[in-house]
Amino acid sequence: MSTLNPVEPLLRSDRLPHIWCPGCGIGITINCFARALIESKIDLDSVAVVSGIGCSGRVAGYVNLDSFHTTHGRAIPFATGLKLANPKLEVIVYSGDGDLSAIGGNHLIHAARRNIDLKVICVNNLTYAMTGGQSAPTTPEHAVSATSPYGTFEPPFNLPHLVEAAGAVYIARWTTFHVRQLTRAMSEIFKKKGFSFIEVLSPCPTLYQRRNKMGDGLDTMKFYKEKSRIRHGAPTSEVGLTLNGEIIVGKFVDRDRPDYASLMRAQYVEALGDRYVECRETTCN
Amino acid sequence: MATLTMPVEEKKKTYEQEALITGAEAIAIACKLANVDVVTAYPIRPYDTVMQYMSQLVADGEMDCEFIVAESENSQFEIVKHASVCGARVFCGSSGIGWMYAMEVLTVTPALRVPMVCLVGNRALDDPGAFGVEHNDALAVRDLGWLLNWVDTAQEALDTALIAYRVAEDRRIFVPLAISCDGAFLTHSQALVKVPAAEQVMQFLPKYDRGDLLLHPDNVISVAPQANEDWVMEIRRQNYAVTERACDVIREVYADFERIFGRKYGNPFFEEYMTEDAEIVLLGMGTLSTPVRVAIRKLREQGKKVGFVRLRWFRPFAGAEIAKCLERFRAIGVIDRDLSLGAPDLSGVVATEVRSAMYTSAKTRPPVLDFICGLGGREVTVPDVGKMTDIVFQAANGKAQPLTQWIGLRG
Repeated sequence: MSTLNPVEPLLRSDRLPHIWCPGCGIGITINCFARALIESKIDLDSVAVVSGIGCSGRVAGYVNLDSFHTTHGRAIPFATGLKLANPKLEVIVYSGDGDLSAIGGNHLIHAARRNIDLKVICVNNLTYAMTGGQSAPTTPEHAVSATSPYGTFEPPFNLPHLVEAAGAVYIARWTTFHVRQLTRAMSEIFKKKGFSFIEVLSPCPTLYQRRNKMGDGLDTMKFYKEKSRIRHGAPTSEVGLTLNGEIIVGKFVDRDRPDYASLMRAQYVEALGDRYVECRETTCN
Repeated sequence: MATLTMPVEEKKKTYEQEALITGAEAIAIACKLANVDVVTAYPIRPYDTVMQYMSQLVADGEMDCEFIVAESENSQFEIVKHASVCGARVFCGSSGIGWMYAMEVLTVTPALRVPMVCLVGNRALDDPGAFGVEHNDALAVRDLGWLLNWVDTAQEALDTALIAYRVAEDRRIFVPLAISCDGAFLTHSQALVKVPAAEQVMQFLPKYDRGDLLLHPDNVISVAPQANEDWVMEIRRQNYAVTERACDVIREVYADFERIFGRKYGNPFFEEYMTEDAEIVLLGMGTLSTPVRVAIRKLREQGKKVGFVRLRWFRPFAGAEIAKCLERFRAIGVIDRDLSLGAPDLSGVVATEVRSAMYTSAKTRPPVLDFICGLGGREVTVPDVGKMTDIVFQAANGKAQPLTQWIGLRG
């Protein structure tokens, strides 16, 4: 009988132990991601994982898949290049809230607008964790951080609302407490064509929870359990996060609109008619 | 207060305090003393420690300034640039690739005559992602009109930040200035620092006055209009003229610093260590001076007469003075914590500059060897310094040596 953990073939065990702190939720999200890949029976050679910079940015280095650890904020442009060069690739952007919504915020909204066929997994720990817990565009109002010792006063982004307005076709939010739902959501985006976005609330006990006196990793799990309310299809304008308030989770948006590649093809066919010659489809090999 | 009538020495005793602080904290305290108006931040190691100290000072009401965490380095530098044009004294900074992400702003700032003062917590450029020190981040702006200096200790960081505002905001200068602190070795290391009194700083540092360049409804000007071949050369020439004047202004400011604070830095542009009777010298920038000094003391016990020159100001590069200092040695070994890939003799940035200065200004032509060492935060060790010294002595004794060698590289 094999004692191998079922997700182990999807991890680079030689890179372990990982750098994440005890109680961090990023490992949980990877477990869900690996299980979703296994359940989806996707050809792993067709999967590419692209990360930005930060704690979540390190995911690219631990998954046993083709992966790229890009510069800060640049995961989505890199992934866009991958998808354009090889449309058959299943391109996953796996990064943090600071990377995706601050320094890379422009790319996030434009990729959603174009409806590029990318799957974005945004691990949101509500702070810049790698650099010491500074206020990020996701830090809830009144939360204490390294740069707001007496509380943040800037209103944060409501990420599902932002990407819905920009044009994303699939938007869900779960926490690291909701492992089954998160795994299912990840399986769903593999089947979805277009810009898909999953926000995963994840604890940073070392910086965010500690500074805000919210306990350790386990306390945060209890917090998630207690405060979460599943509301599939909730209007994204109502799902903004607060420091201690309710966390609305669920699948908020699942809609269809033509993705970038389809629009490009349609436009050229209309403009050029028979003269349009489609590029030879590239393969993953 | 009675102390105001005391002589300077007495006042110093009353007000100056000692504190155990890091290099980054020293810069934050200098900004507080300089009464900076606008600070912008974006987290990146190792620079980010300064923003934490500063946000605490602001939150505690000790520092009266606007503080904002921008959404990227690019907007971080844009915000202070414009605040400065409106007459605010500003501070920001970054490290490594973050500094490079601000490059668009860094490029336009000197021509707009914005005297922003920045901290570069030196860090290796990506890829590979690494946190350790390398000097190529700050050096990337060396041709753009920025003033650049490297400090060695937390005390020097604090003092230089005050000096930096005085130099940058001098109407004869009015260009941005970056203070480089070696990542981790200085930004995160604590040392005892003499923190001057606010009164002393007020005496040293006048208010920032943009005069006719102030963007204000009462002073209608247009900043950064389009200019093509009709004016670009003249605008460039104005920045060139700044670099012509910079050495004199820096000398003046250091003299005034010594007069008011009583701390002597000697020659502002470089610091010499055990060079009086030295036959050969090593030359470098930043915190590598610590292992080099330790090594030199050991080497002298073995009868090897070696000295060290630590460069403080890289821009302006005081070429004539540096050449005059170096021409008296039999051979020179430059330690470059940077790369200039494809440069003459494949040497690093500092060695190439030193050779150029020696060619035009030195009376003698001692060999100038280059050592690429301590990249990506690797320590420059005492045995490394011993090895470099031996190589430089061999060159001094007429034995030909490769002009560029890598030291401390794994085999």
